Amino acid sequence: MAWSASAIFRALVTDALENTAALDLNADTFKVALYNNSITPDKDATAANSAYNAGQWANTNEVSESGQWAAGGVALGNPDITNPSSGVVMFDGDDTASGSAADLANVYGCLVYDDTLSTPVADQGVCYNYFGGANSVTNGTFTVVWAANGLFRITV
Amino acid sequence: MLDRSTRWACPLCTTEAVTVRAEPHTQMHRCSGLKGLLAPMVEAGTSCKVEAHEREDYVGTELVPTDGEGRPIMAVVTTRDDGQDCTVFAPTATAEVRF
Repeated sequence: MAWSASAIFRALVTDALENTAALDLNADTFKVALYNNSITPDKDATAANSAYNAGQWANTNEVSESGQWAAGGVALGNPDITNPSSGVVMFDGDDTASGSAADLANVYGCLVYDDTLSTPVADQGVCYNYFGGANSVTNGTFTVVWAANGLFRITV
Repeated sequence: MLDRSTRWACPLCTTEAVTVRAEPHTQMHRCSGLKGLLAPMVEAGTSCKVEAHEREDYVGTELVPTDGEGRPIMAVVTTRDDGQDCTVFAPTATAEVRF
């Protein structure tokens, strides 16, 4: 198996509604970690297995380079949860970029996780976004442009 | 005082820009040379090739950007003499609540 789609973790919604995890999608620090195609993301993973360096998100499959797109990910600038239109909840942030001399190969997607949250699960996953294929940079800048619809969008 | 301004250009269209920011960044623009796709600019004077890369996988229910011809675009790759940049377009993760 491998990447096939982008999704919000079910555990994120459950834990927010149960007040199990003190998530603050406006104020917490979120990180974006890059992964190769050796993983099979699962939106139904437990909170523990949605976290960075757990379950499918083990850092053995992470794509990183110190000083460019460091292991553990790059911080998401200006995270913001909003209601942009009727029935819509959207999580958005600034585009995320590496340093200007990165060497990264076979990047298929990313995990967005809450780096502030330490309990009950540290670094709990928020969502994962599948880029649609292999992407690489050589001595260059790797930039993730988030869609106009945000990192994730819930319609009620 | 140090000049933090950066002059940007696009090898595929006539767009030019100047930014004044200290942190590393890439200036983006709607490129007529890439059929209206949001694309990175390069520092003025840089010799390079800019190409849109079509999504390699089934689109399914993913919300992906398309160019002016409706092709799902995964990334824009800029190939310079001394390296390669990549700008990926991350699809939105979606969910729907029904009662």
